[in-house]
Amino acid sequence: MTGRETAWRLFAHEFLASVQEETGVGERPVRHVLSPLGARMNRVLVVGTLGVPEPVGKDPAAPFLRARLTDPTGSFSVTAGGFQPRALGAFQAIRDPQRSLVVGKAHLYSGRDGAAYGSIRVEAVRAIAEEEYRLDLAETLRQTLRRLDLLDDIRGGRGPESAESAARAGVPPLWWAGATRAVARYPSIDLATFRAPLASVLREIGGGSPPVPVSAPAGNVRVTHTPAPSPVLPPSAAVRAQEASFLDIVDDLAERSADGYADLKEALGLAERRGLHGDRAEELLNGLEESGVLEEPIVGKLRRA
Amino acid sequence: MSEGEPASPNAPVELRLRDLRPMDAPVIIVARVVSAERREITRRSDGGRRPVLSGLLSDGTATVRFTWWDPPAEEVERGMVLRAGPIQLREFRGRPEITFTWKTRVAPASEADLPELKEDELPVRTVAELADGDEGFRLQVRIARVEAKTVSVGQERRLLHEGVAFDRSGSIPFTAWSDFRLSEGAAVRIVGAYVGVFRGQAQMILDERAHVQPSEGSELPSLEEWRTPIATAIGLLEAGRGSSHATVEGTVVGLSPPSGLVFRCPTCGRGVANGLCRAHGAVEGIPDLRARVVLDDGTGALTLNLDRIATERLWGGTLEAALAGLRERPDPGRIEEGIHTALFGRRLVATGRASADDFGLTMYPDEVRIVPAGGPRDLAGLRTELEDGPR
Repeated sequence: MTGRETAWRLFAHEFLASVQEETGVGERPVRHVLSPLGARMNRVLVVGTLGVPEPVGKDPAAPFLRARLTDPTGSFSVTAGGFQPRALGAFQAIRDPQRSLVVGKAHLYSGRDGAAYGSIRVEAVRAIAEEEYRLDLAETLRQTLRRLDLLDDIRGGRGPESAESAARAGVPPLWWAGATRAVARYPSIDLATFRAPLASVLREIGGGSPPVPVSAPAGNVRVTHTPAPSPVLPPSAAVRAQEASFLDIVDDLAERSADGYADLKEALGLAERRGLHGDRAEELLNGLEESGVLEEPIVGKLRRA
Repeated sequence: MSEGEPASPNAPVELRLRDLRPMDAPVIIVARVVSAERREITRRSDGGRRPVLSGLLSDGTATVRFTWWDPPAEEVERGMVLRAGPIQLREFRGRPEITFTWKTRVAPASEADLPELKEDELPVRTVAELADGDEGFRLQVRIARVEAKTVSVGQERRLLHEGVAFDRSGSIPFTAWSDFRLSEGAAVRIVGAYVGVFRGQAQMILDERAHVQPSEGSELPSLEEWRTPIATAIGLLEAGRGSSHATVEGTVVGLSPPSGLVFRCPTCGRGVANGLCRAHGAVEGIPDLRARVVLDDGTGALTLNLDRIATERLWGGTLEAALAGLRERPDPGRIEEGIHTALFGRRLVATGRASADDFGLTMYPDEVRIVPAGGPRDLAGLRTELEDGPR
C-alpha cells in the first residue's frame, strides 16, 4: 500500500553478496534486489567515502558517471546518468573523495558468465560531516544487527509467523517479509561471515581516525615507482562493463516507457552516444539475448528476461 | 459458559455472545441492538419480497452480526435489549453470526437481564492492541487532553467530551458521551468501553455503559513523557494504520510534488492548478510555500506535509525572498531545488498526527526539527550486541 519504496540501510558487504532479484507483477512491475540478510531493496540509503566519479561513455552529450562509495566493509558501485540530472550534476561537481550519503535505486546485473553484481543508480547525494557519517554508520549497524537476529530467529523457527505478529513484536513488517524470503532464497548462508566485518564498522564509529589518503612520503627518500599494471582490462571485465552500461540504458528506457519495454532503436541510439557503436552494440545485444538476460518479445521492444 | 453442560441435549442454554459456539442444545441470548437496518430480499423462486432486519448485537462480552427474517412491523430501535431463542448460529469468516428464524422467539428484555460482567473476568488490554469492534476489556490509561464539545445528533444537542488517552503502548483518541469528569493528566481505569473507527482510525467510545474510575497510574508514562516521546519506527506506525499522536525520526530522502511555490485559491485555500480551483473555478491564486518531505527511517517512509512556516524555517529561505528572486530568474523549479538541497539527507524528528491511505502514511506535524549533529548514541549497547554474536 505504500506509495514509496523504503530506503534500506545496509553495508557494502551485504550488498555485494546480494545475487537474487525479484520482479513484481502487473503493468509496471517493481524490481527488488534481495540480500542474504533479507533487505528487499528497490531503494537504498548508504554512506561512505565517495571517490571521484569517472565517465563511462565517450559522448559528452550523454554523460554517464560511475564512482565507488567505500564503507568499512567494502565498496558500492554508484552511477549517475542523464536520467538522474540531480545526481549527475552533483557527481560532476565532485573533485575530491568525500564522506557522502547516497540515496538511489538498487540494480543487479547478470553478466554472461552468470555472475550477478549490484550497483546503485543514484537519485541524490550529499556530502556529510564526520559526525553525521558516524551517526549514519551507527544507524546502519543497529539495523543490520537487528535484521541478523531476526533472520536467525526465523531460521530457528522462533520468528514471527505473520506480518501482523511481527508488528506486534516490534518488528517492521517489511523486514519480516524480506527476512522470510531471504531464508527461502539463501538457505545455506553463514550468518557469522556477515557479522564479522561489522567489527570494523564499530571501530570506525568509535572515532578511529578517518582514512588518510596515502601521499608520497616527504623528505629525503627515494621513491621507486614500479611500472603501473597494464591499463588494458581483462576482456571479460570490459565486456561486462559494456553490458552493464547497455542494461542500464534498457532499464532506464523501460522504466520510463508507458508499456514497460525499452525501444530497441532508442537503446541502440543511446548506446552509440556512450561509445558503443553499431556492430559492437548488436553483438552485445545478441550475447545478452542468448544468455537469457534480455528478450525481444515484440520486434523492436526489449525487456529483461 | 457458567451453567455447565446441559442435562439433556434439548434443554435450552443461555450463552454470552463471547461464548457462542455451535452446539446441539437450543441457544438463548440476551443482547442489546447496536445497529439495525430493515431491507427486503427478493426471493429467487417466485420473485416475492421478504423483509429482513440485520445489524449488530452486543451484550458487553462481544459484538455479533444478526439477521432477523420476517421481523415485527414495529420499530426495532438501537439500544433495545432483546431475549431471543432458539437462535440459529453459523460462522462466517471465522466469526459467529446469529439468525432469528421462524422458530426463534424474540421478546424485549431489561438491562438487568444482560449478562453480569465481573470486572476481573474481562481481559486487560493495552492501547496498541485495541482494534475496531473490540469491547468487553479493561484498560488503564492516562488522559493526554480532553475538551468538551456540543454536537447535534438529529434534533438533539448533546454535550460530549473528546480527547486522547495513552498508555506505554500508544495513544488513542476517545469520545465520551457522558461526563466522566476526565481531566488532563489523570490516570483512569476504564471498563465497558468499545472501539469504533472514525476517519479510518481506531477510536475509543465511552457511553453510558462505561465505568471510569480514577487509578494510581504508577505504571503509566507521565504527561511529560508523553509530550516528549521516543520515536516510533515508521514501518510499525504504518502497520497500525497511523496514530493520533506519534513521533518519528528519519532521514529526508526526497520531496514529493507539489513542493516549493504553490498557488492557493483565495476563497478556500485549495491548491490552484493552471489558474483553476476545484471548487471556485478561475481564480487569482495566492502564492504560498509548502514542502512534502519524504522521511525514511529504514523501516518505512512517510510524507511530512510542511506548511509555509515550517518550510521556511527548515529551508532557511522565505516566500518573499523567493518571489523577489523569481523576478530576476523566473524559474519556480529553483525554489523546489533549493528546498531539496537544504533538506536532502538531513535527519528530522517530527511529532503529530499520522494517517494512512492507499498512498502510504502522511503526517501533518505539530512540531518538526532537524536533529542536531552529534556523535552516535549508545555505542556501548551496539558493541555488546555485536560481541554477543549470533544467538
